Amino acid sequence: MSRKRNYAMVIDTKVCVGCSACVYACKAENNVPEGFCRDWIEEKTEGHFPELTMTIRSNRCQHCEVAPCVTYCPTGSSHYGRDGTVQIDRDWCTGCKACLAACPYDARYIHPKGYADKCSFCQHRLKQGLEPACVTTCPTSALNLVDLNSNDGVFGQLIEGREVLKDKVHAGTRPKLFWLH
Amino acid sequence: MTEFVTNKINPHVLPNLHIWGWDVAIYLFLGGIAGGLLIISSAMILLQKGGIFNPSERVEEYNKQIQIASLLAPVVLGAGMFFLFLDLEFKTHVWRFYTHFNLTSPMSWGSWALLIFFPFSVFQAIVVCRFSSKPSFLFLARWEKLLEPYLNKIAAVNVHVGMGIGVYTGILLSTYYARPLWSNTVLGFVFLLSGISSAAALLLLIAPSREKQFYTKIDMYIIAAEGFATTLFILGGVTGTESMKNAMFYLIAGPYAAWFWILFVLSGLIIPLILETLEAIGKIRFSPLVPLLVLVGSISLRFIIVYAGQDVPTFA
Repeated sequence: MSRKRNYAMVIDTKVCVGCSACVYACKAENNVPEGFCRDWIEEKTEGHFPELTMTIRSNRCQHCEVAPCVTYCPTGSSHYGRDGTVQIDRDWCTGCKACLAACPYDARYIHPKGYADKCSFCQHRLKQGLEPACVTTCPTSALNLVDLNSNDGVFGQLIEGREVLKDKVHAGTRPKLFWLH
Repeated sequence: MTEFVTNKINPHVLPNLHIWGWDVAIYLFLGGIAGGLLIISSAMILLQKGGIFNPSERVEEYNKQIQIASLLAPVVLGAGMFFLFLDLEFKTHVWRFYTHFNLTSPMSWGSWALLIFFPFSVFQAIVVCRFSSKPSFLFLARWEKLLEPYLNKIAAVNVHVGMGIGVYTGILLSTYYARPLWSNTVLGFVFLLSGISSAAALLLLIAPSREKQFYTKIDMYIIAAEGFATTLFILGGVTGTESMKNAMFYLIAGPYAAWFWILFVLSGLIIPLILETLEAIGKIRFSPLVPLLVLVGSISLRFIIVYAGQDVPTFA
């Protein structure tokens, strides 16, 4: 059965200012406990003064098309959603942490209640036709939710003429966060 | 310069992964011994009875060591599983391992393999322990009579089940390619051989003096093989990708190097191999220190690999 949707995220590092609004929007929307986060900001500074370059990007679960967490989950708790996302069914999670060991992006953590947790692309909001909290909040519109199976042309417009980077492609995970440089 | 700053704060994920601790290391150690005990005891039953295709007469009284090893295998594995249970973050969901089978998940294979290990190892123990001779265990006499004709077949299955559990303790770690030190196929064989050698050492420790040389020889051969497997494990790492190479150098030349070389390689492999060889050819007398060194080396190996494997940076 072919998927109806295949959600991905396009993140423009040229307009991201690293304000962390996405991080706090996510924490509030998903009741992420204190001391934990489902998404985060990374700042990388390189070069020699005065030729310094800084890359700022918002990062989270890559919702891989070949997700090691799903491959290695012994109970089927980590699974592919029908919308192309990677989700966790808390009722099935034993807290064995196989998924944490398997993730090359270290995107997961163990919730104080015992289950593995991570970015869900705000699946509850997607079902209501809304965008994820981070995308809605981002003040510079650096975050964009796209449907790779759609022919609306949004994805093509966003990446046109831009250098597109994906993280650890050689891991064979087919990650779905696209960073524009 | 290159500087990296993040506000990612998740505990046990940063600054480096720390999800599995002492309880998992002890499980891997006990699981290895349980597998080893089952392999040795089943192999001895098959050799005594002339193999599966050649069922011989009923053995009236099994060797005490075969009895102890058959009985200890499920007990030690049960103890190991208790430590595994301690590691689970969502303990009330432990039964979820048995409501699903994921073909691609080694942990799923392992959970189901444990379910095969228990009945088959217990079947073997019921027959070889001759419980019917003791009045308080008379209720097992019926089982003993029922299972006795199939002992050769049960033992033949058990050799493989033991191997499976022994290899599995290594595969559990080695399939995570995100962790470059663990991501080494040979690890399964290192853990299997280390488990068999620990089981032989344990039996050597408790064997009566006239049988000690037999277990010394088993341990000597297995330790020699384990030494070669460890060499392949190191070579596999240093000739691997950049991540794997750095991870292996972190183990053999980093903060864990002293533990790895002295506690595992020197006092867990090389010294016992030399002493056991001398014991086997009758140059020196048996010392309980040798099997103890093997057991300490074996448990150290699990601790070093579990901890060092999480210290190294994630696959890059």
